[in-house]
Amino acid sequence: MRRVFALGLAALLAGCAPADDRPEIVVQRFFGECGAVYGASTDVANADTECGILTTLINRFEAENPDIRVKVNVVAWPGYPQLAAQMAAGDPPDLVTMHQSVISDYSSRGLIEPVEGLLAQAKIDPAGFTPAARAGVEKQGKLYGMPWDTIGRLFHINTELMAEAGLMRGGKPVLPNSPEELLAQARQFKAKTGKPYLIQAQVSAPDFMVAFLYTYLLAQGSPIYPDDRHIKLDTPEARAIVTLMRQLNTEGLTTRDQDFPAATAAFTQGKGGIFPVGTWMLGPYDAEAAREGSPIKGHYAVAPFPRLWGTAAPFVDGHAWVVPAATRSPQERAAMARFLAFLSRYNYDWSRTGQLPAFAAVLDRSEFKALPHREDIAALSRTGKQLPGYVERQSAVQGLIGEELEAAITGTKPVETALKDAERRVNRLYAQMM
Amino acid sequence: MSETAPSSQRLSPLVTVLLLIGAGIMLMPMLWTLLLSFKSNAALMADSGSAFMPPWTLENYAAIFQGSLTTRWLINSLIVSTGSTIGVLVLSSLAGYGFARLDFPFRRTLFVIVLLGLAVPEQAVILPRHQLFAMLGLHNSYPGLILPSLTGAFGVFFMTQYFRAIPPELDEAALLDGASRLTLFWKVLLPLTWPAQATLGVFTFLGSWNDYWWPLISATTSDYFTLTVGLASAQMNYAQTSGLGFLMAQAVFASIPILVVYIAFQKQIVRAMAGTAVR
Amino acid sequence: MNRARRDALVGYAFVGPFLLVYAAVLVVPLLMGIVISFNNADLFGRREWIGLANYAQALSDPVLRQAFFNTLTLTLLIVPPLTVIALLLALALNRNTRLAAVLRGVFFSSLVLSVTIVTLIWRFILTPDAGLVAVGLQAVGQPPIPFLSDPAYVIPALAVTTLWWSLGFPIMLFLAGLQQVPGDIYEAAALDGAGRWTVFRRITLPSIRRTLLLVVMLQTAAQLQIFGQAQLLTGGGPGGASRTIVLYIFEVSFGRWELGYATAIAELLFGMILLVTLLQYWFVTRQEGDRA
Repeated sequence: MRRVFALGLAALLAGCAPADDRPEIVVQRFFGECGAVYGASTDVANADTECGILTTLINRFEAENPDIRVKVNVVAWPGYPQLAAQMAAGDPPDLVTMHQSVISDYSSRGLIEPVEGLLAQAKIDPAGFTPAARAGVEKQGKLYGMPWDTIGRLFHINTELMAEAGLMRGGKPVLPNSPEELLAQARQFKAKTGKPYLIQAQVSAPDFMVAFLYTYLLAQGSPIYPDDRHIKLDTPEARAIVTLMRQLNTEGLTTRDQDFPAATAAFTQGKGGIFPVGTWMLGPYDAEAAREGSPIKGHYAVAPFPRLWGTAAPFVDGHAWVVPAATRSPQERAAMARFLAFLSRYNYDWSRTGQLPAFAAVLDRSEFKALPHREDIAALSRTGKQLPGYVERQSAVQGLIGEELEAAITGTKPVETALKDAERRVNRLYAQMM
Repeated sequence: MSETAPSSQRLSPLVTVLLLIGAGIMLMPMLWTLLLSFKSNAALMADSGSAFMPPWTLENYAAIFQGSLTTRWLINSLIVSTGSTIGVLVLSSLAGYGFARLDFPFRRTLFVIVLLGLAVPEQAVILPRHQLFAMLGLHNSYPGLILPSLTGAFGVFFMTQYFRAIPPELDEAALLDGASRLTLFWKVLLPLTWPAQATLGVFTFLGSWNDYWWPLISATTSDYFTLTVGLASAQMNYAQTSGLGFLMAQAVFASIPILVVYIAFQKQIVRAMAGTAVR
Repeated sequence: MNRARRDALVGYAFVGPFLLVYAAVLVVPLLMGIVISFNNADLFGRREWIGLANYAQALSDPVLRQAFFNTLTLTLLIVPPLTVIALLLALALNRNTRLAAVLRGVFFSSLVLSVTIVTLIWRFILTPDAGLVAVGLQAVGQPPIPFLSDPAYVIPALAVTTLWWSLGFPIMLFLAGLQQVPGDIYEAAALDGAGRWTVFRRITLPSIRRTLLLVVMLQTAAQLQIFGQAQLLTGGGPGGASRTIVLYIFEVSFGRWELGYATAIAELLFGMILLVTLLQYWFVTRQEGDRA
């Protein structure tokens, strides 16, 4: 019935389209829409930004593979509500960009497929993935995607302002080693420069706060997810971290009321010392720091999140290409394998964005090593910690935690209440899960 | 426009000033948008206040035509809104005539059931409808986007009222002349309902043009996005990609067709409203 | 075929097409929704009958409670000012001068913009970093106001945005209503030497009573379902301070995949809108009854 109906409508609508029997693959990605700049370009080497590099990569694949029809679907970040709507509609795309931390939601329900077969067909050896990347896509012993990168969190540092604050030694920024030091340095920074020490996106950017919290919980060895149905946030460790964040906010040691775009711009305008955000800004900021007339020209450095408690154990995530479950013809699968093989060859170009490569071989390439700052952060692909593979619903959960953290940090809720509420809400979400 | 007593009075100076201030508040956001759209993204990144000063540029508008999907979304919106409007007018006119003039079993019951639809908000049906359309394979298609707007009970109610207000002697005369029901409907009565059609058409078009919730979950591939959904996806991505000036140019570009239609038909819209809306 | 049967067939032929679509695209989903709301259902077709548990959960859900009060506050901040301003503007603009015609055009214009564009415009009026208000404040040496991230400002900011967007339609309705008032009543009043206020209260207001009811009912129902502005402008933040009921329905269904729970909330909202509309209707008609 459904088939007939759909076919009838399709025939009605497509009556005038020319026949095209090439296999079609539908590629769905976030990273933004930049057709206006990179619309027809296949010049991968000269493209910049995540959007630019991926757009030119796909253009190039289309140019090199005229026997495959590629339909690209750009969704607003992170695109998961839309993907859910597509899956509910029984009409998912063939290849989708997905954060490694949310893969288990889909894999545990059979909504995405294991990809060992596809990887073998594409002649991609999973042994070549970096440890962090492999951990990101491996769930219950199976690989549920081709890892594409590892995302770490970095301190992006304006060294000119740091020097003005007296926080440079031997050409390197002086970073704190404990929460007390962080506060002291932040106060010193503010007193000397009159500007906030940190730039933070606090508006509509839940992942931002959550990454901070996760990083320092992992560093203290505090188990965030004791099992697959519970979170533990009402702990002294979590309270210490959130109290620090709140302190920074109340003393005006961080920017307030900025959303992600505003915070991004604030850093390039030299409005604050340190922007603790992901590896993905490394590429764009490097370019900005090389631009004549930029307020951060020649004054840019990065470092992984400093150790404040316990050990240095940065929380990492990553992107992967996953395959929603659907029936596909062998021709379509072959086309998808070719697409993945093509992408894997360009993993170095993707790492120019600032993200760490998913393929260990790229780390050893001289061109990668020649990229600025990479020696400071390459270790993340070994030391970076992911959440346990059984943890589900990170997209929704981070939204909930982020909301409570926002309330705690801006002072509308006491820290303890916010953490209790976050724990209760997340646990309730897990209890509802089928 | 019908003449009523106070309409000939002139406005007092105080009221005029207040009205002009109000008009200024209404227009300011649009002018600001226009200014931003003529500014390079880099200049706005540094300081959006620079929009008040030259240099201005057309580069954002040029970018719309180079490989962006904006024109495609515009066409989608036009197809969906026009389809919805035609569909609503046809279905409501037929049903309105039927309920107003014809006699058949369960007429009153059916009409009451339709009226109850006036009380059903979109929220009550949108999630199950998404499931239903998934079963029928209707998502990411024009019919999938158009069908939900055809269920508006308001149109039927509105047209029924309108047909009821037409003197029944007209029908009887025509039927005596040997005209069929269809001829009567098509040749005699339908032309009389033009003002009501205009009103209903304009509001259906606007409603469909501005719909957001349903296309957001039904049109999930970018070649079926309507303008509202497409612009929303661009809006959420702007920092990393297109830039503020481009976004604003997109907004201006997307609003122009509907503003033109509106300005062209403004008189008719108001007249139609005055003639028919609130009986 | 006898006449009655023929007439019946003709009748069904006229109302049939609409009823078919109506049944398939409205009635069926409506009934489906009621059934789904009694299930622990996910977005991908899993169903497990749990009776009223979703409703019980809704009544004790603090997030829903917050969303409910946010929505209520928004409705109260939007509907009364919108009605009053629209009525005043309609009274002022209900005349045949050129200026009035131009101003009508101005006040109607925002009505044609879609919610995406409205929020885009207002984001860059309200945001403290690049917004018009901030630019203005900066020019006079004042710090920017964080309209979209301070819990105290975010609801009023949404309300102002919505007011700006929604003004046109009620003005139109009022203008239409005002033009139905026969001119001779005013002439009679003028002969009696009645003042403006008296004329407004005794003649204009009663004559457009039904329009007033229509405006209030339509706007209340619309604002109780406010969604796009909150989703696009604030994402419900900060800390849920601007999350509306419908935004919550969207999050629960497509973000958390809990279709059953989302549907139950939608049914509750449906009930609420129905109740409010009936109350308004009853309130006004009862007063009319008192007068008669």
